[in-house]
Amino acid sequence: MIVERPPKAMAMLRERLVEALGNDAVKTAPEDLAVYAFDAYTDGGLPSAVVLPSSTRDVSAIVKVARDCGEAIVARGAGTGLCGGAVPIAGGIVISFARMNRVLEIDERNRRARVQPGLINLALSREVANRGLFYAPDPSSQQISTIGGNIATNAGGPHCLSYGTTINHVLGLEIVDSAGDVFETSIEGAGYDLTAAFVGSEGTLGIVTSAWVRLMALPESVRVWVAAFDDIESASEAVSAIIAAGILPTALEMMDAVITKVVEAAFHAGYPTDAAAVLLVENAGFDEDVEASESSIQKIVSAHGVRSWRSARSQSERDALWAGRKSAAGATGRIAPNYYTQDVCVPRSRLPEALHAVGEAARGNGITVGNVFHAGDGNLHPLLMYDRRDRKQVAAVVETGNQILQCAIDLGGTISGEHGIGWEKREAMTRVYSTADLAAMARVRDVFDPNRMLNPEKIFPAGMRCPEVTPP
Amino acid sequence: MNAVQHRLVPENAQAVASVLASCDRASEKVQIVGGGTLSGMGYPPERVDVTLSTAALTGIVANERSDLVIAAQAGTPIRDIAVLLAAQSQFVPFDAPRAQYATLGGTLAAGWVGPRRHRYGRVRDYLIGSTIVLADGTIARAGGMVVKNVAGYDMSRLYAGSFGTLGVLVQANLKTIPLPPHARLFVARLPERTRDRAIAQLATLRVEPAAAFWVDGFHALEGEDGDEGRVVVLMEGSDALLERATLELRSSLGRAGVPETHIVDAGARESFERIVDAYIACLGERSVTYRLYPPADAAPGRALELRELTHRFGLRSETIVDVMNGDVALRVSDLDAHAFGSKIEQFDDALHAVEPTAQVVASEHPSRQHLRVWGAPPASIEHMRALKARFDPKRTLNPGCFIGGI
Repeated sequence: MIVERPPKAMAMLRERLVEALGNDAVKTAPEDLAVYAFDAYTDGGLPSAVVLPSSTRDVSAIVKVARDCGEAIVARGAGTGLCGGAVPIAGGIVISFARMNRVLEIDERNRRARVQPGLINLALSREVANRGLFYAPDPSSQQISTIGGNIATNAGGPHCLSYGTTINHVLGLEIVDSAGDVFETSIEGAGYDLTAAFVGSEGTLGIVTSAWVRLMALPESVRVWVAAFDDIESASEAVSAIIAAGILPTALEMMDAVITKVVEAAFHAGYPTDAAAVLLVENAGFDEDVEASESSIQKIVSAHGVRSWRSARSQSERDALWAGRKSAAGATGRIAPNYYTQDVCVPRSRLPEALHAVGEAARGNGITVGNVFHAGDGNLHPLLMYDRRDRKQVAAVVETGNQILQCAIDLGGTISGEHGIGWEKREAMTRVYSTADLAAMARVRDVFDPNRMLNPEKIFPAGMRCPEVTPP
Repeated sequence: MNAVQHRLVPENAQAVASVLASCDRASEKVQIVGGGTLSGMGYPPERVDVTLSTAALTGIVANERSDLVIAAQAGTPIRDIAVLLAAQSQFVPFDAPRAQYATLGGTLAAGWVGPRRHRYGRVRDYLIGSTIVLADGTIARAGGMVVKNVAGYDMSRLYAGSFGTLGVLVQANLKTIPLPPHARLFVARLPERTRDRAIAQLATLRVEPAAAFWVDGFHALEGEDGDEGRVVVLMEGSDALLERATLELRSSLGRAGVPETHIVDAGARESFERIVDAYIACLGERSVTYRLYPPADAAPGRALELRELTHRFGLRSETIVDVMNGDVALRVSDLDAHAFGSKIEQFDDALHAVEPTAQVVASEHPSRQHLRVWGAPPASIEHMRALKARFDPKRTLNPGCFIGGI
């Protein structure tokens, strides 16, 4: 979508932003703006301006300029989002947090750190590793995605099976609201849990300018196992059985043969390529418990016809397996020029049915699908391979994605487990929520963003106008 | 308060909705009650026309044992849920006081946080879905029965801790986790000049406790105080892990100069529950219990300062310091109810001068409403008031009970 604005207004906007932030922090050249028009899912429209604040005060000033000039604001981390959440749809100011990327404070004894939103996820764990600590949320994008972006989407990752998603690791936020005022939230204080309301709100309620996050003690023992199966049904039944037995490993991931083949070709990570499905299982914790869990898990996978079971012998083997897993999506470039990642979550016992339905949907539409996902959480990520230059393939992918979404809903699941709603799935919100359910969410938005200037056109369905969402 | 109050006990969400819709239209004020265990928190409502009890909203709605997910109606006692889950080797770390009476909805609405949260997380982190009835009678659902869900705002977590001022929770869906197979409780009296070292040792154990307390007073609980009180530690895990934990804990406390550590195996979890109960235990009308949340490393020092302050007012002080989370429960009392009544308001002023955010969590004292029961409002109070106004514009639900007059 291209939104033309009068050149005079654009010049005025630029002037105001430069006045507030300095020339160096404001970008309006078309070639600069183009970089911020897309995320890892889609391209939207060109922003009116891109700004790179260095402080909370800068962010506050930006919001005030935006209000004066009638511009929307889209806060952006690294742009790794998969649902168009950080993409401007109809112009607006994109705030890049590239310059607010520091660890502000580490409180080792109380296991917490205060960070700026532009800090790269993995950088925090690296920074605190020598103190025996780590930051648990680990989306596959963690080498490039930012903690601010992770907070906006309530990002998950393989290890949230046992550690929980981002929300469980945020202790408090500093927020610039839609009036440009700054306030803080804390999960310890009395009053409404505004921290919980803001995490996962995709930049529609306010702009996070710093966060206190929880750090965890590095486990004393970590083991990683690879279990190979001859068919995907057995593998998914094994996953359901492990959970049903009351075993919650720290991570329980599944990859099918389409994925293991490209991962091995690209990274030689150590996965068998002749198995129909592979489980990557990690357990971390106290020596005694981790050791005991190995035989329990092994017994269950054996009962489900595991073909081979291997334990990673060293840290480097474990790292290679994880690196392969986390880079799997990118490796699909070997078999198709483009891929689309669907993200749905189903009750864990329904995993076998869900995977079956994914296969059927892909076959029915003539699309190659690769499955690489957080099996233990029931969180599927079918990668649909296609060539975006071929309109028929694009249509087939859209249809396949849609059918998978419906299948998840039919199985009692949800339309996004961890990527978010953004621009992509907002129309699907009405498939899981009633008008009353959505209206309750809209009341929160009414309070924090009454003029719909913060990341508009996201989360809420397009047809949802204020008169409809306000109960009589 | 009105002379005539109606007590209503609706049996389902629809019935709750029609009660609220009609009260809201008629500008009647509704007080929401669950098990009443946390009735010492918050202010009494400004006015009550209808008391809505969740006592008939009970029962398990869904027990998806193999998914590690459970859903129950809001009035279901926490104990019932815990017993059901334990029978299938699962649990949710509710850590709610007086769990046989405490309800799921009340525990969530009060935002209760227990001592095991540093290890297992808060109850709100287990909340994956909810059904709430808003002040105007709208029934709204949030989340679902899956363990990961980022479709829209996390309304369930917002409702948790909202003290019934945004709506009436009628159902909550929770994920569960495997129950650690064994629990062991350790109690040690602290002789003179051992407290600081003993607490420091607890905080740095390699086998991290599920809960660890420094207790001073509360004589009804497990163990007896030494010169400097006692420490109580709960360990949970496999037999093998507990063996290691025992060796480590005993030698750590030994190094701190603590000669003897007593072990409770049978009934360890029950003894732990008694400690949780103590957070809200009142000594008739002659006590008030405050709770505050300093950083973990500062908590013992704060507790000592508060003890000094309490004594300065001629009042008795008892404390439970949650060493792992940084959480101090301070019970202030007097042997004589009249004497207590004459001192408590001044003490409350003095306490909040040094601990502005200290909250009252338990009191049966008649002048409770004159205390700063929520502590000082946070900087975001105006946003909170705006939320209240948007969800409950006529102030129908629990009016004036919550922080900042919400």
